[in-house]
Amino acid sequence: MPAVLRLLARRLGISLIVLAGVSMLIFGIARVIPGDPARIALGPNATGEQVAGLRQALHLDDPVAVQYGHFVADLLRGDLGVSLYTNRPVTLDIAQFLPATLELVLFAGVLMVGIGLPLGMWSASQRGRWPDHLIRVVSLLGVSAPSFVWAVMLMLMFAFFLPVFPIAGRITDSFEITRVTGFLLIDTLLAGNGAAFVDALRHIFLPAFALAVSGIGQAARLTRANMVETYDRPYIEMARAYGFPAGRIAAKYAFKPSLIPSLTIIGLDFAAMLGNAFLVEAVFAWPGLSRYGVAVILRKDLNAIIGTVLIISATFLIVNLIVDLLIAFLNPRIRHSERGAR
Amino acid sequence: MSAVLEIRDLHLRFRGHSGVSEVLHGVSLDIRAGERVALVGESGSGKSVTARIVLGLLQELPYAEVSGGLFLEGADLNRLSRRQWQGLRGTSISMIFQDPTSSLNPVFTIGAQFAEVLRRRDPGLPRGAADERAGALLRSVSIHDHARVLDAYPFQLSGGMNQRVVIAMALANHPSLLIADEPGTALDVTVQAQTLKLMHDLVERSGTAVLFISHNLGVVREFADRVFVIYRGRIVERGPTAAIFEAPGHAYTRALMAAVPRITGGGPPEPNDGETAFLDPMVVHEGGGA
Ligand SMILES: Nc1ncnc2c1ncn2[C@@H]1O[C@H](COP(=O)(O)OP(=O)(O)O)[C@@H](O)[C@H]1O
Ligand SMILES: [Mg+2]
Repeated sequence: MPAVLRLLARRLGISLIVLAGVSMLIFGIARVIPGDPARIALGPNATGEQVAGLRQALHLDDPVAVQYGHFVADLLRGDLGVSLYTNRPVTLDIAQFLPATLELVLFAGVLMVGIGLPLGMWSASQRGRWPDHLIRVVSLLGVSAPSFVWAVMLMLMFAFFLPVFPIAGRITDSFEITRVTGFLLIDTLLAGNGAAFVDALRHIFLPAFALAVSGIGQAARLTRANMVETYDRPYIEMARAYGFPAGRIAAKYAFKPSLIPSLTIIGLDFAAMLGNAFLVEAVFAWPGLSRYGVAVILRKDLNAIIGTVLIISATFLIVNLIVDLLIAFLNPRIRHSERGAR
Repeated sequence: MSAVLEIRDLHLRFRGHSGVSEVLHGVSLDIRAGERVALVGESGSGKSVTARIVLGLLQELPYAEVSGGLFLEGADLNRLSRRQWQGLRGTSISMIFQDPTSSLNPVFTIGAQFAEVLRRRDPGLPRGAADERAGALLRSVSIHDHARVLDAYPFQLSGGMNQRVVIAMALANHPSLLIADEPGTALDVTVQAQTLKLMHDLVERSGTAVLFISHNLGVVREFADRVFVIYRGRIVERGPTAAIFEAPGHAYTRALMAAVPRITGGGPPEPNDGETAFLDPMVVHEGGGA
C-alpha cells in the first residue's frame, strides 16, 4: 500500500477513536450539568406527569451507560435525536447553521494563508531591512490579541468611524438567494447574482478578517522564522551560486522546505478558528452555529449540545487530516518512506 | 593569452558590532585556461570568502567591504552590474560545495534541480529535453540508471551518488571556471577519492579551469597543477605543485605538510598558531608558467 494511503488509513482510525472519546466525554458532561432537561423543555407550567413522560421518552431515567448505548445506536443510523429547543431533528438544525460557520472559517483560513504566508516570505527575503521589521511588529501585534478583541476593534473602525462594511448578518435581506450549498459566496454565484455576491463578500470580510488576524500574524511569524533558517542552508547558497533569481529562490527553493514545518501549526491555528468563530459570530450577529450552540446550552437541550460538539470535533479532525495529507504531499520524506509518517 | 581568472590585490573587511575585522589582506591569484589551481590553507584563512567574492555573492552583504581587481577571461567583473554578475553564475562560473547531499534541495527531485541548472544557459528549456540532457550528463559521471536518479530526491541517494550529480551539474553549462570548495570532504575517504578522480578526468577532457579549495595536501598534490598557500588572508607561497612539494619554502607551508591530516576528515590540520615565521614574506616558485 502506498505510504500516503497507509497514513490516511491510520489517521482516519485515530480520528474515529478521538471522536468516540469526545462523544463519551460530552455525553457525560451534558448529564452532569444541573437542571432537568425535560422540565426546562416543557416549561414551568407542565405537570409532573408530563415531565416524567418526557424523561422516559428520552431514556433519562436509565443508567448513563444505557443512555449512551441508545445514543450510539441512533448515531449509527445518522440520527442525532430531536432538539427540545427547535423541536426539529438536530441534524436538520446543524445542516442549517453549520454552513454559515464553515463559510466564515474557511474564508478566514484563506485570508490567513493568503496574507500570512506571503508576508512571512517577504519578511524573510528582506531580513534585517525595514519591510522585515515592519512585518515583524505588525504580526506580533496580530498574535497578541484574541480574535474577539479584533472583532470589536474592527467593528468600531470600519463600521462606526469609517462605515465601509456592514456590521451584522451574512447578506442584505432584500436579496433572495436559493440555498444550494449553504455557502452564500457560492450560492450567489450559482444564482448568477453578482450584486448579491459582492454584498455577501462585504458582509463576510470583517468577521473573517477579525477571526484571521492572529492566524495571519502566526503564519507570517512562522514562515519567516523557518525561511530565515532555510536561507542558511547549503542548498540555498548553491541556488545563489548558480544564479537562480532571488525571487524564485524565495518563492520556491526556500519557501517549500520552510512550509513543511510551519504547516502543522498553521493547521492547528486554522482548526482553532472554529472555536474562536463562536465569539466572532456573536459580535457580528453572524447566523452560524454559535447562536444555536449558546441557545441549546442555556436550555440544556442534550441532543443538540452533543450534536453541536460532535460536529465541531469532526470538522476539527477533518481539518487536521487534510493538513497531515498536505504535509505528506509536500514532504517527499513522508511520501516515500517505507513506514509512512513517523 | 589572458587568464581565465585573475584576482589582484583582493581585500575584504567585515564591519561588525565589535568594529571592523579584516579577513583578506591583498590576495592575488591567477588561473590560466585549462589549469587546475589549488588554494590551500587552514580553516578560517579566507578560502571560501575568496570563492564567494569571485561569484559576486559576498558583495551583496551590506556589511562586507570588498576591494581589488577581479577579471574573468579578461573582463573586469567589478564593472558589471549585480544582474550581469548574477548572469555569469551557473553559466560561466559554477561551484561545487563541501557536502553534496545538503547542497541539493531536499524537497525537489534531482531532475527538477538539474532542469533549473540547465535553464540558466537555456531559459525555457522544456522538462523533457532537460531530462534527456541531464541523463547524458549523468552518464558522463558514470551514473547509468539515470532515469531513477532523476526521479529521486537527494535523501534517497548515497553521498557518492549525490557528489556525482553535483559534479555533472557543475559542468553541465560548460563553465569557463569551476570553483570546488573542499569538494567531498563530508564523504568517506574512498568515495571522495573516486569522485575527485572523476572530476579530474572530466575537467581535463573539457579543459575547464578549476579553482580547487582544500586543506588536504595529499589531495591537492594529486589534483592541482599549481598551488597557492593562504595563511590568515595572505598568500604565503605559490608555485607549481611539484616545486612546492619538493621544496616548501615558507615556514607555514612546511608546518602544513608536517601536520597529519585527521583521518576522520573533519577539519584541516592546524599547525601551531602564532609562529612569527608564518608571517614571513611570500615565497614564489617560478616555473609552470608562473
Ligand atoms: N559572512 C561573514 N561575516 C563575518 N565574518 C565572516 C563571514 N564569512 C566569513 N567570515 C570570516 O572570514 C574568515 C574566513 O572565512 P572562510 O573564507 O570561510 O574560511 P575558510 O578558509 O575556512 O573557507 C573567517 O574568520 C570567518 O569567520
Ligand atoms: Mg571554507
